[in-house]
Amino acid sequence: MLALAEPTSAGTSWGPVVAVSLIVVALVISRLSRSWSERAQKTALPVMVATIMVALWQLGCDLLQATIFPTPWQTLLALIEVVESDRLLGDSVASLYRVTWGFFLATITAIPLGLVVGWSTRSFWAMNPIIQGLRPISPIAWIPVAILWFGIGDGAGIFLIFLSSFFPICVGTMAGVRNISLVHQRSASNFGIHGFELIRRVVLPGAMPQIITSLRIALGVAWLVIVAAEMVGMDSGLGYLINDARNMGSRYDLVAAVMIVIGLIGIVLDLMIRRLEHFDEVRWGYAER
Amino acid sequence: MSEPHTKVVIDRVSKQFETKAGPLQVLDDIELQVADGEFVCLLGPSGCGKSTLLNTIAGFVQPTSGKVLIDGEQVLAPNPQRVFVFQEYGIFPWASVWDNVALGLQHSQNRAETAHKVQETIDLVGLTGFEKSYPMELSGGMKQRVEVARALAVSPDVIYMDEPFGALDSLTRLTMRAEIIRIWQQQQPTILFVTHDVDESIQLAERIVVMSARPGRIAGIIDVDLPHPRDLGSPEYGRIKNRLYGLLGVSHEI
Repeated sequence: MLALAEPTSAGTSWGPVVAVSLIVVALVISRLSRSWSERAQKTALPVMVATIMVALWQLGCDLLQATIFPTPWQTLLALIEVVESDRLLGDSVASLYRVTWGFFLATITAIPLGLVVGWSTRSFWAMNPIIQGLRPISPIAWIPVAILWFGIGDGAGIFLIFLSSFFPICVGTMAGVRNISLVHQRSASNFGIHGFELIRRVVLPGAMPQIITSLRIALGVAWLVIVAAEMVGMDSGLGYLINDARNMGSRYDLVAAVMIVIGLIGIVLDLMIRRLEHFDEVRWGYAER
Repeated sequence: MSEPHTKVVIDRVSKQFETKAGPLQVLDDIELQVADGEFVCLLGPSGCGKSTLLNTIAGFVQPTSGKVLIDGEQVLAPNPQRVFVFQEYGIFPWASVWDNVALGLQHSQNRAETAHKVQETIDLVGLTGFEKSYPMELSGGMKQRVEVARALAVSPDVIYMDEPFGALDSLTRLTMRAEIIRIWQQQQPTILFVTHDVDESIQLAERIVVMSARPGRIAGIIDVDLPHPRDLGSPEYGRIKNRLYGLLGVSHEI
């Protein structure tokens, strides 16, 4: 459990001064960085923007005399507190566990289905309307059903992540297959390639760049949905931690700290899955940037 | 030596496409025979149906009426013994040069023999050293060489080429024409080559089939009885060129 300490009161008198000076410094550095190397600018510019946003946050707190909403400094202290507590690791693992399983199960079912439905016209006619009809239902709307079927716990979370990942991956795979050019289809049929060999040598690799893009989208959605699901219907995980922090004496500094952790984990997940785009077999599918 | 036997028979082939503006007659009663080992160019303006005719002979498109026979058998589907070299790049961007060239040899049992054949074909088209490269790392001319190598690797009886060098610069195009002639002389496949380039057809073909547009008909057939390498400055070359422009109904003196 988190210690129920009062929010650390920051010395608000120097807050605005620090904030304004930071903004000025950030603007000056942004201006000066024009002559730096591209690499240095790419690092410096986002850091300066982030600095300005944090400074504006501080100024906002000072001007509105906010008492419950935390200042950046309070949030930083809360972040340290939450990292040092035993809760953060456990709740992060709980969320990641559900996302991993749900995403994995969605991947191994949605890709084969998307390949078949994308390649076979009759399967497409049969399945596409149903897929398109289920797809717009928000995974959040499934929460009551998930709890009914699986109870409060990992089962419901995994099911919801499965649902939220399944449709982007399935639809992305279908589109990838249907986008395989006529010349490549004709090449395959000219050389007598059919059946499993056709899937392995033409359909799957031809759709792979779009499949990877859909995996990336699906993982992003999964990470959004798990937090919402844990806030409503689970008793562990980062979403639950946010609820818990608010309920324990309105610890909004902890709420903000956990939000930052959620964002950071989201970035790491995206960077991990983007590595798939660098393989020789799929690089052709992404325009040079 | 006996007369070479007839390889391809195009027997009164017509093709209509349904369009929003009504039926479009693309090919009208095409009648043509090609001998085994012959190099024939189909020459015509864009939209004359020459690509449709080639796709019909290859079995990708079925004629509305008439039929295509190869070795006496009607063509109903594409066949690995008769390989198409595409206008746009038909090679797979997700596979290495080696895997692309090996595409048609999947069913072969003898792996050492397959590897030998793939290497031999890659060497033949001058891509030695690029076996592990991916198409996106190659120039346009090199990609087209991969495409040609993929076709040659299966030792086809017939090669269909649909403006295969259209996307290349003029210097690379000249080199590729010389390569094709060299390979044709060496392996003697039957080649059907679609082009809209008058010079290209005279440089390559033994026989040029000139097509007229909408509906596509054969306007005339001209034999090119010149030895390779062909001299672009010879009087016979000029005469053939004049006759081709005459059949195409355009003046080349501008």
